Amino acid sequence: MTNRATAAVELQAVTRRYGTGESAVTALDRVDARFEPGSFTAVMGPSGSGKSTLLHCAAGLDRADAGRVVIDGVPLDGLSERNLTRLRRTRVGFVFQSFNLIPALTAAQNVALPLRLAGRRPAAGEVSSVLAEVGLGDRAGHRPSELSGGQQQRVAIARALVTRPAVLFADEPTGALDATSGKEVLRLLRTAVDRHGQTIVMVTHDPLAAAHADRVLFLADGRVVDELTGPVDAELVAVHTARLEAARTVGA
Amino acid sequence: MSAAWAMVRHRFASFAGTFVAVVLGVAVLAGSASLYLSSQPQAPARYDAAPILIQPAMAGTNDYGEEERPAWPASEATGLANRLATLPGVAAAVPDPVFYVQRLSGGKATGDPEAARADGHAWSSARLGGYRLTAGRAPESRDEVALSGADPGTRIEVLTASGPETWTVSGTVDGPGFYLADSEALRRAPGVPVIGLTVSGDEARVADAARALIGPAGTVRTGAERDLLEANHVTRIRWIGAQLLIALVTLSAFATVFVVSSTCALSAAQRRRELGLLRAVGATPGQVRRQMYAETTLIALLGGLVGAPLGAAAAPLLAGPMVDTGLEPAGFTVTWQPAAVFGAALLGVLVALCGVAVAARRASRVPPLDALREAAVDPRAMTRSRWVLGVLGAVAGAGLLAAMPSLPVSAQSSAGLGAAMLLITAATLLSPVLIVPLVRVVAWPVRHTATGQLVREGTLTGVRRVAATAAPVLATVGITVLLTGTIATIEEAAGIDAAAEFSTGSLLVPDGTPGLSAAAVAAQPGESRLETRVLITHQDGITGFEAAGVAGSGSGAVLRDDTATELGARAGSTLTVRWADGTTSETRVRAVDPDAQATVVFPAELVRAHDPQALTAMVLLDGEPTAAPGARAMPVGDFVREEIGEEGQLVDLFLWALIGLTAGYTGIAVGNTLLMATAARRSEFRALRLAGAGTGQVLRVVSAESLLAVAVGAVLGGTVAGISLLGVRASVESELDHSIALVIPWGAGLAVTAGCVAVAVVAAAVPVLRRR
Ligand SMILES: Nc1ncnc2c1ncn2[C@@H]1O[C@H](COP(=O)(O)OP(=O)(O)OP(=O)(O)O)[C@@H](O)[C@H]1O
Ligand SMILES: [Mg+2]
Repeated sequence: MTNRATAAVELQAVTRRYGTGESAVTALDRVDARFEPGSFTAVMGPSGSGKSTLLHCAAGLDRADAGRVVIDGVPLDGLSERNLTRLRRTRVGFVFQSFNLIPALTAAQNVALPLRLAGRRPAAGEVSSVLAEVGLGDRAGHRPSELSGGQQQRVAIARALVTRPAVLFADEPTGALDATSGKEVLRLLRTAVDRHGQTIVMVTHDPLAAAHADRVLFLADGRVVDELTGPVDAELVAVHTARLEAARTVGA
Repeated sequence: MSAAWAMVRHRFASFAGTFVAVVLGVAVLAGSASLYLSSQPQAPARYDAAPILIQPAMAGTNDYGEEERPAWPASEATGLANRLATLPGVAAAVPDPVFYVQRLSGGKATGDPEAARADGHAWSSARLGGYRLTAGRAPESRDEVALSGADPGTRIEVLTASGPETWTVSGTVDGPGFYLADSEALRRAPGVPVIGLTVSGDEARVADAARALIGPAGTVRTGAERDLLEANHVTRIRWIGAQLLIALVTLSAFATVFVVSSTCALSAAQRRRELGLLRAVGATPGQVRRQMYAETTLIALLGGLVGAPLGAAAAPLLAGPMVDTGLEPAGFTVTWQPAAVFGAALLGVLVALCGVAVAARRASRVPPLDALREAAVDPRAMTRSRWVLGVLGAVAGAGLLAAMPSLPVSAQSSAGLGAAMLLITAATLLSPVLIVPLVRVVAWPVRHTATGQLVREGTLTGVRRVAATAAPVLATVGITVLLTGTIATIEEAAGIDAAAEFSTGSLLVPDGTPGLSAAAVAAQPGESRLETRVLITHQDGITGFEAAGVAGSGSGAVLRDDTATELGARAGSTLTVRWADGTTSETRVRAVDPDAQATVVFPAELVRAHDPQALTAMVLLDGEPTAAPGARAMPVGDFVREEIGEEGQLVDLFLWALIGLTAGYTGIAVGNTLLMATAARRSEFRALRLAGAGTGQVLRVVSAESLLAVAVGAVLGGTVAGISLLGVRASVESELDHSIALVIPWGAGLAVTAGCVAVAVVAAAVPVLRRR
């Protein structure tokens, strides 16, 4: 409880339940987690363990039933829908597994969308430099339907980065991509951390993807059950995952 | 706005319904408003050369609130004219007595009967229209006439209030009308309704001088006020036309809101994922709502841009048919009406915004996480507002229907239409509740076939889609069945009722004339009524009445009970009556009779003495009729049928214009809904094909689903209309005090349903075939 510099995101005893009565599912069970500025965290765990739910609650896309979420020093509880949206717009970036772009808008328009929604006209070169950063400087005028899956994901990252958010959340950003495109996307995320000190929280199933992160959180049944820090390598992650699976099977 | 533009461009298909509905709505509005605004009262052309017209003072009002201006007696008018003529700047002051003349051709009256009531004039008044002699000389003796289209010296046959006459043409005039010598015209006319001034000096100054001279004895009309002198029958024609235009505009606005709201709701449901993404990326609920409004505004502006010129261009083409069907007076032309065109475009935007309001509110509530939902699950079809509004609409509609018998007759038709609209809206709002059980019933026979199962399940899971397709069908079938059924029922009842009013078997009625002449009536055995207008003074002022002169009814007046109440009179009271000729006399009330033949009944001779122009509406024959020009004898039954038929023609015209418009909107709504819904289900159909269904089978499923939706709409619409018709019948029955048959227009309902089926099948099949 020392060095309490503001965390990029902090979850305190966050609980999220779905449904009521007999069929109720506790997707998150009093989860505590802290994501420091400039860190790159991977969240792993078996299917249904609550990874997506964690991300949604941390990003303010979903509300926790109990506990507290603080983004960049701002607690989310008590924020109106409008103020929550504004906070999300300026401090949070989000990349889904797929369907990240508005089909009607071009790549450049999609990237500029959060700025425009904030009532701001993008400065000259602002959008094109971000697009260039993700290697799509020449595709600014293309619509999503004219881009490959990997290119669409890169546009989504550009859009998430354009507001220089306090934290970028990515939910299996490479899940729908082939190995090469996936690697490119991961390299982009790593660059954003290294070059701009971007905070990133990424859900993944892939140990190779997790290896790009500085830290790995393991979730099972809505709880953080394990954590790896320091330089992560894929083999270590795979070993941890296997151990957790085994423990689960025995426990069940 | 640029995002809105991108959206609109990208998904024009989902905005097509809104666009077409707004185009049609704005076109109808711009066209109707152009016609309406072009149809302004206009002073008769025969006063074109008289910038100043003077009417007698207002004495009171009639039951319709119209001004009553009893004519000046001939001597008074002549005196006034002589004094007016001495004013500086007045070229001539001319009294314009009018009387009824119709030219006979082979014993038949020619020309428009109503206009003929004011076709006879004094020769002097020809100059009020700037009409001149082109040959011969002015009429001088009693049987001389000047008119157009006949050479001097010719003898012509005419019909006047007294009967057939033969006149000699003294001169040919370059304008319409029959001109007799002044003294003769003044003798025939019951009084002088107008004095016209032609001026040589400054118009405004002359008008002021005339006002000063006339004082309270008259009203001086100049400029646009002259147009208040429009003939009553012309005003009446324009009024009927205006009713149709107003009905069209109201219905069209209602239908546009209806179509826009259902299209927007469907499109918002289909775009749920995209809206969720927008929210996730940082759009506030307000921004999503504004985005929907912006898109709709854009579409509506585009629609207005197309629709408004379309309507303005169509309006002049309709002028001719409207004149032919008696909805506008002869000579009616459409002028450029910028207010109509721009107003329509603006109103189109407002109406579209009303339509999108509910969908926009719903869209703004889409949570950001919906961006992650793969398939758009059919959201709950029944919302609380749907329940509340649906139930409120049903209650209000039923209440209005129940109250109809106690409403004044003039308000009943609009009350009926209002009730229908309320009930139909209610049925539409509540339709999702009714669709599930209804589909189960309708699809029962085919539940074991593969197509049957697919259709049934597809329909039951897509309740919203079915509701969106069924809603416009419901509205059209409902409106069609209700309107045609109401009118058929009322006509049937009115026929029985009208025939029962006559005590005799046959009648002598006007034949191409506004009424029967004195000569025609004198030759007949039977009872008749001479029609005139009188002004009667009572404690609250002076009121105009349609009075009748009946032969052999004894001296004094007979009042109908309601007239007696209005006048505060009873048997033995004395009435102060002002007659058509401008004179006033006192008459004793002989009796009050609830069964009197008119509001006020006088001896025929008294009416004839004060109104030489009085005509007889009909003779109840009690013997063999004698042939007379401008009259024909016929059995009561035929006459009633003919009268109702004539009125029915106009009613039918209204009806089919309204039904046609409604059906047009239904076509748009059904077509658009199915196009959008089927296009959005392409992946579903792809899965079906992968499972081994051929295009034919997919088509069969799609067509069967749309047929089912149309059937559901038709059944619901028919039911609502049936219930409303029962209400209408109850209202008519309580009016007539006997039971009547309910006429259900199966044919019209089926025809409209068939049209919907055709549109539905095509609209559902097109996206399937295009993706082959
Ligand atoms: N909208 C919802 N309604 C009901 N239950 C839900 C909902 N979303 C998630 N759940 C449940 O919550 C639990 C956690 O789900 P979550 O999506 O967070 O898992 P996950 O770890 O992301 O799984 P995966 O790796 O498959 O994406 C699961 O048991 C899931 O069934
Ligand atoms: Mg997940």
